[in-house]
Amino acid sequence: MDKLYGYVGKIARINLTDSTVSIIPTSNYVPKYIGGRSVCHKIFWDEVGPEVKAFDPENKLIFMTGPTTATGIPTGGRTVFTGISPNSYPEQYSWSGIGGWFGAELKFAGYDGFILEGKAPEPTYILIEDSEIKFLSAKNLWGKLVHDTQHKLEELHGKKVKSIVIGPAGENLIRNASITTSNDNVAAKSGFGAVFGSKNLKAIAVRGTGVVIPADIQKVMELRMKMGYPYMRPNPVVKENTIGMMGNEIPVEGGWLRGQVACSHGCNQHCNTMMIGMKSAFKDEKVNHVEKCVSIFAFGFKEDCPWTPVEVFGTEKNHSLACKMFSKEPLPPDPSDPYFEELYNTQKGDIVNFWKPDFDKGSIINDLCNEYGIDKWDVIVWLLPWLSMGKKEGVFDDIDFGMEIDVESEEFIRYLFDIIVYRKTYYGNLLAEGMARAIRALGKEKFGDTIYKGRYSQKIPGLRLDIPISLEAAWGHSVHWQGRGFEATINKPGWVCHNLLQMLSTRDAMTAAHHHDTYENYLKMKDDPCHSPLTVQGVIFDENRSELKDSVTTCEWQSPNVFWTEMEAQLFEAATGIEMTEEELDKVAVRSRLLFRAILIRNYGRDRDLEVNAIFPIMTYPDPNNETVSWEEWNDLTDMYYEARGWDKETGWPTRETYEKYDLKEVADELESLGKLPPSKK
Amino acid sequence: MKKQGETTRKYGRHIVQYPMEYSLCAGCTACEIMCALTHDGVVSPSYNRIFVERGTSSMVHTILACQHCVDHPCYDACPLKEKAMCLDENGIVYINEDYCIGCKKCIKACVFDPPRINYVWSKDKTKRKAKKCDLCRTRPEGPACIEYCQVRCIGLSDNQIPANKQLGFQAKEGGRQHG
Repeated sequence: MDKLYGYVGKIARINLTDSTVSIIPTSNYVPKYIGGRSVCHKIFWDEVGPEVKAFDPENKLIFMTGPTTATGIPTGGRTVFTGISPNSYPEQYSWSGIGGWFGAELKFAGYDGFILEGKAPEPTYILIEDSEIKFLSAKNLWGKLVHDTQHKLEELHGKKVKSIVIGPAGENLIRNASITTSNDNVAAKSGFGAVFGSKNLKAIAVRGTGVVIPADIQKVMELRMKMGYPYMRPNPVVKENTIGMMGNEIPVEGGWLRGQVACSHGCNQHCNTMMIGMKSAFKDEKVNHVEKCVSIFAFGFKEDCPWTPVEVFGTEKNHSLACKMFSKEPLPPDPSDPYFEELYNTQKGDIVNFWKPDFDKGSIINDLCNEYGIDKWDVIVWLLPWLSMGKKEGVFDDIDFGMEIDVESEEFIRYLFDIIVYRKTYYGNLLAEGMARAIRALGKEKFGDTIYKGRYSQKIPGLRLDIPISLEAAWGHSVHWQGRGFEATINKPGWVCHNLLQMLSTRDAMTAAHHHDTYENYLKMKDDPCHSPLTVQGVIFDENRSELKDSVTTCEWQSPNVFWTEMEAQLFEAATGIEMTEEELDKVAVRSRLLFRAILIRNYGRDRDLEVNAIFPIMTYPDPNNETVSWEEWNDLTDMYYEARGWDKETGWPTRETYEKYDLKEVADELESLGKLPPSKK
Repeated sequence: MKKQGETTRKYGRHIVQYPMEYSLCAGCTACEIMCALTHDGVVSPSYNRIFVERGTSSMVHTILACQHCVDHPCYDACPLKEKAMCLDENGIVYINEDYCIGCKKCIKACVFDPPRINYVWSKDKTKRKAKKCDLCRTRPEGPACIEYCQVRCIGLSDNQIPANKQLGFQAKEGGRQHG
């Protein structure tokens, strides 16, 4: 190919131990692995063995853009990190998506991605200026908060520089530390900020002046209009008079200002909420935050999130992409739809009474997470609810935290963050290891499994629903759209899918794979979701599209569209000029998924017993309709899933035939040599 | 330091950013992208003729564009004016890149800081070119940055359209959120 479209052709291998850089041609990996997460999987499979731990210098943090990044294709600005996650329990390979403008700038500098390996001898940051990559002392940056670090880098290298940075949480190896880029975008869920810290790496700043060329400019322009339609309209800052999700609203004296902003280069949406003039945890003057969904619960968590079926199951007449809901611009409902009533039957969330609404305290919680560089999910969905529930159930009566546990108190919240982020006191140090590890160290039976008696259903009014004080689902991650705890209101057919997604992953999978299906399919599977092939079909669709989202790249809030399923193939083709049908792209997604599975099997002993036992316990607690799944039901569903994927039902390992069908013979050979390939059925 | 927005200076029609009460810039950089794509068929921070200056902490972004000064100091500074830097019948100064020698004199003459003229640097001196807003003068649909701005936060200076007359404007619906 004379001209390279979409990609820019180079991946930088950056060795922090000896401050060297070498170049790998992107063509070593593409188009078999199309970019983003799929290329990361291949690099990790080739280069990182089972003996490596998250904080070892041998752990490699791999960052990749996609072929659509910086082409002008909407949502192509999304990028991905992978590596061994310190936040995963146990430590295992995981991934984390991030938006912002850094990935695009990296491509303008001439790199599709980079591999970070080794450990710098002293605090360091990396400066990339076009092809030149420099290792600079971070002595004057170490210890700084996130925004101060971003400012300092601009001061040193000019306003046009784009950066990814860590805050004190990453420096101190807090296992859920985030990596932050502009507009408060973070890669948080896998705790890769702590991997930066373990490598003595404070930040990477990049400035590029080169070009990225999409193959089909006309198509890019069409996509910008089609994916934006019909919401290309003014986006005024509006005054809101209340704060809080339904059930948690409180009036705000004088109101507050809300604006909607994009999360990444070239995005044609504005899903993220900017909160203007908020109370700062660190400064006297007011600050602005950019917040996503979970942040709203920092302001008040008396009731769980409501759920409207159309958010998950749609018809031709009524389906609205999630980004439209975030920007508060969903399509107007079409009442001519025969399923209109069911689709818009909003169901109230459980009463949980974790904490009452408090505008300033909510702002402080979000600001502390943003500035220290720490994952909000772990704080808002797990740590604080655990303290709230545990205190009410008396499990902390014999514990001296150094201050009385009170999640309603701004002073306690500040104290709590301080002891965790700076690893002060026995309990601060313990919680810095993440919730899953801290609870096990304290004793899971008492400090994890004690039942909270304050959760009540609003679907069956008056019914108390047992829930453990630790909202752990699997792999060291908290619940998310899983029928209990946070965003629990989704009904059983929905949460069965989400639990299966998490079982098969190494983290909360739902931030890149919220379940989406047609209402037609829902009607066919709803009465017995654990025995319906449509459940498996839906989950495989979610998983494959999740791989594509982080590989093409595009974003969770526009993809997938179950009524425009060739969208991702169109994005890829417009960027690269490589002809790709939806079926061919799905094959790429399955290959990527298989390689992920192979990594888990080879490096972390993943098999059926391990994953079924990891996810099952949380589903033994009731959902808002008082429903659970039985061990038999879950295993029947697991059988169906493995069979549909071409995996052995006994072990959960893909067969040689399956690997070879997706051109992964060498992977099958290696696994066979390790005794990790099921017997052939040929 | 050059002074911005000198009161005695007169400007022709140019791209303006509307106040956030009308429409907040979402920070997406679609204006920069579409500018470079429609003019040059590439996406690059060296090719766009409109600039999003990002507010790092405030996260409020400012759009910087050529103001089309009526006295056109950039045009006057060009050593190859009428060939490399030209003036059309509507008073728009535009660059004919076939003749641009990349001397940067137009950039130095720009009265704004940062200058509103971009620059493509190349090892090959013949490929060094200045890039300046021409308001998409030959494009029937008008400026691409305006057409593709997803939030309609930019427009032409002497043609500000009230919010309720904007293309696609509807009363906002109540929304839901999920995560």
